[in-house]
Amino acid sequence: MVTQDPILDPVGIVTWAIDVGIYDLMYSAWGWTIAEIVHFTGLCLLIGTVGMFDLRMMGLVKGLSLAALHKLVPFGVLGFALSAASGFMFVVSTPDQYLYNPAWQVKMCLLALAGLNMAVFYLVMAKRVYALGPDDAPPLAARAFAAVSLASWLGVIMAGRVITAFRPPAWFWCAWCG
Amino acid sequence: MDALAWIEQTRLSVFVREDFYAYFVLLIFHAWGMAFLVGGGVAVSLRVLGVARGTRLERFAGFFQIMWLGAAMAIVSGLGLLAGYPAKALTNWIFALKFACLIGAAVLVWRMGREVFPVAARGEPMPPRARWMGAAALALWLGGVACGKLLLYTNKMLLTTDLAW
Repeated sequence: MVTQDPILDPVGIVTWAIDVGIYDLMYSAWGWTIAEIVHFTGLCLLIGTVGMFDLRMMGLVKGLSLAALHKLVPFGVLGFALSAASGFMFVVSTPDQYLYNPAWQVKMCLLALAGLNMAVFYLVMAKRVYALGPDDAPPLAARAFAAVSLASWLGVIMAGRVITAFRPPAWFWCAWCG
Repeated sequence: MDALAWIEQTRLSVFVREDFYAYFVLLIFHAWGMAFLVGGGVAVSLRVLGVARGTRLERFAGFFQIMWLGAAMAIVSGLGLLAGYPAKALTNWIFALKFACLIGAAVLVWRMGREVFPVAARGEPMPPRARWMGAAALALWLGGVACGKLLLYTNKMLLTTDLAW
Protein backbone atom coordinates (compact mmCIF):
# COMPACT_ATOMS: atom_id res chain seq x y z
CA MET A 1 0.00 0.00 0.00
CA VAL A 2 2.58 2.53 1.16
CA THR A 3 5.35 1.44 -1.23
CA GLN A 4 3.17 2.38 -4.25
CA ASP A 5 3.33 6.06 -3.29
CA PRO A 6 5.31 7.79 -6.09
CA ILE A 7 5.86 11.02 -4.13
CA LEU A 8 6.03 10.43 -0.40
CA ASP A 9 8.24 7.86 1.27
CA PRO A 10 6.87 6.98 4.72
CA VAL A 11 9.60 4.41 5.34
CA GLY A 12 12.28 6.95 4.44
CA ILE A 13 10.65 9.55 6.69
CA VAL A 14 10.48 7.28 9.72
CA THR A 15 14.07 6.10 9.05
CA TRP A 16 15.16 9.75 9.13
CA ALA A 17 13.18 10.25 12.38
CA ILE A 18 15.02 7.29 13.90
CA ASP A 19 18.40 8.58 12.67
CA VAL A 20 17.94 12.06 14.15
CA GLY A 21 16.46 10.80 17.44
CA ILE A 22 12.92 12.16 17.10
CA TYR A 23 11.45 8.66 16.95
CA ASP A 24 13.11 7.53 20.19
CA LEU A 25 12.12 10.79 21.88
CA MET A 26 8.47 10.40 20.83
CA TYR A 27 8.31 6.77 21.93
CA SER A 28 10.00 7.40 25.27
CA ALA A 29 7.80 7.11 28.37
CA TRP A 30 6.28 10.62 28.18
CA GLY A 31 7.35 11.72 24.70
CA TRP A 32 4.00 11.52 22.94
CA THR A 33 2.13 12.94 25.95
CA ILE A 34 4.42 15.97 26.25
CA ALA A 35 4.25 16.58 22.49
CA GLU A 36 0.43 16.55 22.71
CA ILE A 37 0.48 19.01 25.61
CA VAL A 38 2.81 21.30 23.63
CA HIS A 39 0.58 20.93 20.54
CA PHE A 40 -2.56 21.99 22.42
CA THR A 41 -0.79 24.73 24.40
CA GLY A 42 0.23 26.18 21.06
CA LEU A 43 -3.34 26.00 19.79
CA CYS A 44 -4.60 27.78 22.93
CA LEU A 45 -2.09 30.60 22.39
CA LEU A 46 -3.13 30.78 18.74
CA ILE A 47 -6.87 30.99 19.43
CA GLY A 48 -6.27 33.27 22.43
CA THR A 49 -4.51 35.81 20.24
CA VAL A 50 -5.26 35.38 16.53
CA GLY A 51 -8.75 34.03 17.28
CA MET A 52 -9.59 36.94 19.57
CA PHE A 53 -8.17 39.40 16.99
CA ASP A 54 -10.47 37.76 14.41
CA LEU A 55 -13.49 38.11 16.72
CA ARG A 56 -12.74 41.82 17.18
CA MET A 57 -12.31 42.27 13.43
CA MET A 58 -15.62 40.48 12.84
CA GLY A 59 -17.25 43.09 15.04
CA LEU A 60 -18.31 40.62 17.75
CA VAL A 61 -16.15 42.45 20.30
CA LYS A 62 -16.07 46.24 20.30
CA GLY A 63 -14.05 49.07 21.77
CA LEU A 64 -10.57 47.69 21.13
CA SER A 65 -8.02 49.24 18.77
CA LEU A 66 -7.09 46.61 16.20
CA ALA A 67 -3.58 48.05 15.80
CA ALA A 68 -2.98 47.73 19.55
CA LEU A 69 -4.74 44.35 19.78
CA HIS A 70 -2.44 43.10 17.02
CA LYS A 71 0.38 43.21 19.61
CA LEU A 72 -1.06 39.92 20.89
CA VAL A 73 -0.41 38.21 17.56
CA PRO A 74 3.32 37.40 18.16
CA PHE A 75 2.11 35.10 20.94
CA GLY A 76 -0.09 33.44 18.32
CA VAL A 77 2.97 33.00 16.11
CA LEU A 78 4.76 31.40 19.08
CA GLY A 79 1.73 29.14 19.58
CA PHE A 80 1.74 28.18 15.91
CA ALA A 81 5.46 27.39 16.09
CA LEU A 82 4.88 25.13 19.11
CA SER A 83 2.00 23.35 17.37
CA ALA A 84 3.86 23.02 14.08
CA ALA A 85 7.01 21.64 15.73
CA SER A 86 5.10 19.10 17.83
CA GLY A 87 2.86 18.23 14.86
CA PHE A 88 5.95 17.62 12.72
CA MET A 89 7.22 15.21 15.38
CA PHE A 90 3.91 13.29 15.36
CA VAL A 91 3.98 12.93 11.58
CA VAL A 92 7.60 11.84 11.14
CA SER A 93 7.24 9.32 13.99
CA THR A 94 4.34 7.49 12.35
CA PRO A 95 3.99 8.96 8.84
CA ASP A 96 1.66 6.34 7.34
CA GLN A 97 -0.95 7.15 10.03
CA TYR A 98 -1.02 10.81 8.97
CA LEU A 99 -0.04 11.16 5.31
CA TYR A 100 -2.90 8.95 4.08
CA ASN A 101 -5.39 9.96 6.78
CA PRO A 102 -8.37 11.90 5.32
CA ALA A 103 -8.76 14.01 8.46
CA TRP A 104 -5.07 14.98 8.47
CA GLN A 105 -5.22 15.89 4.77
CA VAL A 106 -8.27 18.09 5.41
CA LYS A 107 -6.43 19.65 8.37
CA MET A 108 -3.44 20.51 6.16
CA CYS A 109 -5.74 22.01 3.49
CA LEU A 110 -7.42 24.20 6.14
CA LEU A 111 -4.01 25.18 7.49
CA ALA A 112 -3.00 26.25 3.97
CA LEU A 113 -6.26 28.21 3.63
CA ALA A 114 -5.60 29.98 6.96
CA GLY A 115 -2.06 30.82 5.83
CA LEU A 116 -3.17 32.08 2.40
CA ASN A 117 -5.96 34.14 3.95
CA MET A 118 -3.49 35.68 6.41
CA ALA A 119 -0.99 36.49 3.64
CA VAL A 120 -3.63 38.24 1.51
CA PHE A 121 -4.96 40.07 4.60
CA TYR A 122 -1.52 41.51 5.37
CA LEU A 123 -1.00 42.45 1.72
CA VAL A 124 -4.29 44.23 1.02
CA MET A 125 -6.17 44.95 4.25
CA ALA A 126 -3.97 45.25 7.34
CA LYS A 127 -3.03 48.94 6.94
CA ARG A 128 -6.69 49.98 6.56
CA VAL A 129 -7.65 47.99 9.63
CA TYR A 130 -4.83 49.39 11.80
CA ALA A 131 -5.98 52.92 11.00
CA LEU A 132 -9.39 52.27 12.58
CA GLY A 133 -10.23 53.70 15.99
CA PRO A 134 -11.29 51.48 18.92
CA ASP A 135 -14.98 52.02 18.26
CA ASP A 136 -14.88 52.00 14.45
CA ALA A 137 -16.60 49.12 12.68
CA PRO A 138 -14.21 47.17 10.43
CA PRO A 139 -15.04 47.18 6.69
CA LEU A 140 -16.96 44.24 5.25
CA ALA A 141 -13.85 42.83 3.52
CA ALA A 142 -11.95 42.81 6.82
CA ARG A 143 -14.83 40.98 8.49
CA ALA A 144 -14.72 38.41 5.69
CA PHE A 145 -10.97 37.89 6.18
CA ALA A 146 -11.56 37.44 9.93
CA ALA A 147 -14.44 35.01 9.39
CA VAL A 148 -12.37 32.88 6.98
CA SER A 149 -9.45 32.92 9.42
CA LEU A 150 -11.52 31.89 12.45
CA ALA A 151 -13.45 29.26 10.47
CA SER A 152 -10.16 27.85 9.14
CA TRP A 153 -8.64 27.56 12.61
CA LEU A 154 -11.80 25.99 14.04
CA GLY A 155 -11.73 23.61 11.08
CA VAL A 156 -8.10 22.77 11.83
CA ILE A 157 -9.12 21.93 15.41
CA MET A 158 -12.07 19.85 14.18
CA ALA A 159 -10.03 17.86 11.66
CA GLY A 160 -7.28 17.35 14.23
CA ARG A 161 -9.75 15.92 16.72
CA VAL A 162 -10.98 13.26 14.28
CA ILE A 163 -7.58 12.09 13.02
CA THR A 164 -7.86 9.02 15.26
CA ALA A 165 -11.25 8.16 13.73
CA PHE A 166 -9.87 8.01 10.18
CA ARG A 167 -6.67 6.04 10.67
CA PRO A 168 -5.23 3.95 7.83
CA PRO A 169 -5.53 1.17 6.82
CA ALA A 170 -9.28 1.27 7.61
CA TRP A 171 -9.32 4.72 5.98
CA PHE A 172 -6.80 5.41 3.23
CA TRP A 173 -6.69 8.52 1.05
CA CYS A 174 -3.97 8.86 -1.52
CA ALA A 175 -5.16 10.74 -4.60
CA TRP A 176 -1.57 10.95 -5.90
CA CYS A 177 -0.88 7.20 -5.61
CA GLY A 178 -2.64 6.34 -8.86
CA MET B 1 -18.24 2.15 41.54
CA ASP B 2 -21.84 0.91 41.35
CA ALA B 3 -22.98 4.39 40.34
CA LEU B 4 -20.37 4.49 37.56
CA ALA B 5 -21.46 1.04 36.35
CA TRP B 6 -25.09 2.26 36.33
CA ILE B 7 -24.15 5.32 34.26
CA GLU B 8 -22.34 3.09 31.77
CA GLN B 9 -25.56 1.15 31.21
CA THR B 10 -27.68 4.22 30.39
CA ARG B 11 -28.78 4.70 26.79
CA LEU B 12 -26.79 7.96 26.54
CA SER B 13 -23.60 6.28 27.70
CA VAL B 14 -23.98 3.35 25.31
CA PHE B 15 -24.82 5.75 22.45
CA VAL B 16 -21.69 7.86 23.08
CA ARG B 17 -19.50 4.74 23.06
CA GLU B 18 -21.06 2.82 20.19
CA ASP B 19 -22.14 5.44 17.65
CA PHE B 20 -19.30 6.21 15.21
CA TYR B 21 -20.05 9.94 15.15
CA ALA B 22 -21.31 10.71 18.67
CA TYR B 23 -18.00 10.53 20.51
CA PHE B 24 -16.12 12.54 17.89
CA VAL B 25 -18.85 15.18 17.56
CA LEU B 26 -18.67 15.65 21.34
CA LEU B 27 -14.86 15.82 21.14
CA ILE B 28 -15.05 18.51 18.44
CA PHE B 29 -17.52 20.65 20.42
CA HIS B 30 -15.43 20.17 23.56
CA ALA B 31 -12.31 21.35 21.71
CA TRP B 32 -14.14 24.37 20.23
CA GLY B 33 -15.62 25.26 23.61
CA MET B 34 -12.25 25.00 25.33
CA ALA B 35 -10.68 27.05 22.51
CA PHE B 36 -13.11 29.93 23.12
CA LEU B 37 -12.97 29.62 26.93
CA VAL B 38 -9.20 29.26 27.27
CA GLY B 39 -8.54 31.52 24.28
CA GLY B 40 -10.49 34.38 25.86
CA GLY B 41 -8.80 33.70 29.19
CA VAL B 42 -5.36 33.76 27.57
CA ALA B 43 -6.14 37.08 25.85
CA VAL B 44 -7.32 38.71 29.11
CA SER B 45 -4.34 37.30 31.04
CA LEU B 46 -1.80 38.51 28.46
CA ARG B 47 -3.34 42.00 28.48
CA VAL B 48 -3.22 42.19 32.28
CA LEU B 49 0.44 41.10 32.05
CA GLY B 50 1.09 44.16 29.89
CA VAL B 51 0.83 42.87 26.31
CA ALA B 52 -1.11 45.14 23.90
CA ARG B 53 -0.97 48.10 26.31
CA GLY B 54 -2.52 50.37 23.69
CA THR B 55 -5.89 48.71 24.21
CA ARG B 56 -8.19 49.68 27.07
CA LEU B 57 -8.12 46.84 29.54
CA GLU B 58 -11.73 47.17 30.68
CA ARG B 59 -12.87 46.68 27.06
CA PHE B 60 -11.53 43.13 27.25
CA ALA B 61 -14.73 42.41 29.16
CA GLY B 62 -16.17 42.03 25.65
CA PHE B 63 -14.41 38.66 25.50
CA PHE B 64 -16.31 37.42 28.56
CA GLN B 65 -19.37 36.61 26.43
CA ILE B 66 -17.20 34.53 24.11
CA MET B 67 -15.77 32.76 27.17
CA TRP B 68 -19.28 32.06 28.52
CA LEU B 69 -20.26 30.57 25.16
CA GLY B 70 -17.09 28.45 25.19
CA ALA B 71 -17.75 27.33 28.77
CA ALA B 72 -21.31 26.28 27.88
CA MET B 73 -20.09 24.28 24.87
CA ALA B 74 -17.26 22.68 26.86
CA ILE B 75 -19.49 21.77 29.81
CA VAL B 76 -22.35 20.27 27.77
CA SER B 77 -20.00 18.28 25.52
CA GLY B 78 -17.83 17.37 28.50
CA LEU B 79 -20.85 15.93 30.30
CA GLY B 80 -21.60 13.86 27.20
CA LEU B 81 -18.03 12.54 27.10
CA LEU B 82 -18.19 11.86 30.84
CA ALA B 83 -21.43 9.93 30.35
CA GLY B 84 -19.67 7.70 27.81
CA TYR B 85 -16.69 6.82 29.98
CA PRO B 86 -17.45 7.89 33.57
CA ALA B 87 -14.97 5.52 35.22
CA LYS B 88 -12.16 6.67 32.92
CA ALA B 89 -12.40 10.24 34.24
CA LEU B 90 -13.77 9.88 37.76
CA THR B 91 -11.15 7.36 38.90
CA ASN B 92 -8.30 9.61 37.74
CA TRP B 93 -7.09 12.43 40.03
CA ILE B 94 -5.83 14.34 36.95
CA PHE B 95 -9.50 14.94 36.11
CA ALA B 96 -9.97 16.72 39.44
CA LEU B 97 -6.77 18.67 38.85
CA LYS B 98 -8.05 19.77 35.42
CA PHE B 99 -11.21 21.13 37.03
CA ALA B 100 -9.25 22.81 39.82
CA CYS B 101 -7.05 24.57 37.25
CA LEU B 102 -9.96 25.71 35.07
CA ILE B 103 -12.13 26.85 37.99
CA GLY B 104 -9.15 28.64 39.56
CA ALA B 105 -8.40 30.40 36.26
CA ALA B 106 -12.05 31.38 35.80
CA VAL B 107 -12.26 32.77 39.34
CA LEU B 108 -9.10 34.83 38.74
CA VAL B 109 -10.50 36.26 35.49
CA TRP B 110 -13.77 37.07 37.30
CA ARG B 111 -11.82 38.82 40.06
CA MET B 112 -9.79 40.75 37.49
CA GLY B 113 -13.07 41.85 35.92
CA ARG B 114 -14.38 43.06 39.28
CA GLU B 115 -11.21 44.49 40.84
CA VAL B 116 -8.79 45.44 38.07
CA PHE B 117 -11.01 46.46 35.15
CA PRO B 118 -12.77 49.29 37.11
CA VAL B 119 -9.36 50.66 38.16
CA ALA B 120 -8.25 50.65 34.52
CA ALA B 121 -11.53 52.30 33.45
CA ARG B 122 -10.81 55.19 35.87
CA GLY B 123 -7.38 55.60 34.29
CA GLU B 124 -5.58 54.70 37.51
CA PRO B 125 -2.45 52.49 37.55
CA MET B 126 -3.12 48.77 37.94
CA PRO B 127 -2.59 47.39 41.44
CA PRO B 128 0.60 45.27 41.77
CA ARG B 129 -1.42 42.12 42.44
CA ALA B 130 -3.02 42.39 38.99
CA ARG B 131 0.11 41.06 37.30
CA TRP B 132 0.25 38.12 39.70
CA MET B 133 -3.39 37.40 38.97
CA GLY B 134 -2.71 37.55 35.22
CA ALA B 135 0.33 35.26 35.47
CA ALA B 136 -1.50 32.79 37.71
CA ALA B 137 -4.57 32.78 35.44
CA LEU B 138 -2.42 32.14 32.34
CA ALA B 139 -0.61 29.29 34.10
CA LEU B 140 -3.90 27.78 35.29
CA TRP B 141 -5.58 27.99 31.85
CA LEU B 142 -2.64 26.22 30.22
CA GLY B 143 -2.39 23.81 33.17
CA GLY B 144 -6.04 22.87 32.66
CA VAL B 145 -5.39 22.13 28.99
CA ALA B 146 -2.29 20.08 29.87
CA CYS B 147 -4.32 18.05 32.38
CA GLY B 148 -6.94 17.41 29.69
CA LYS B 149 -4.27 15.84 27.48
CA LEU B 150 -2.72 13.95 30.40
CA LEU B 151 -6.13 12.32 31.03
CA LEU B 152 -5.65 10.32 27.81
CA TYR B 153 -2.44 8.75 29.08
CA THR B 154 -3.02 8.34 32.81
CA ASN B 155 -6.43 6.67 33.08
CA LYS B 156 -6.43 3.42 35.03
CA MET B 157 -9.52 2.04 33.32
CA LEU B 158 -11.95 2.88 30.53
CA LEU B 159 -15.02 1.13 31.96
CA THR B 160 -15.90 -0.41 35.32
CA THR B 161 -15.94 -3.78 33.56
CA ASP B 162 -12.16 -3.38 33.16
CA LEU B 163 -11.96 -4.23 36.88
CA ALA B 164 -12.64 -7.83 35.93
CA TRP B 165 -9.14 -7.92 34.48
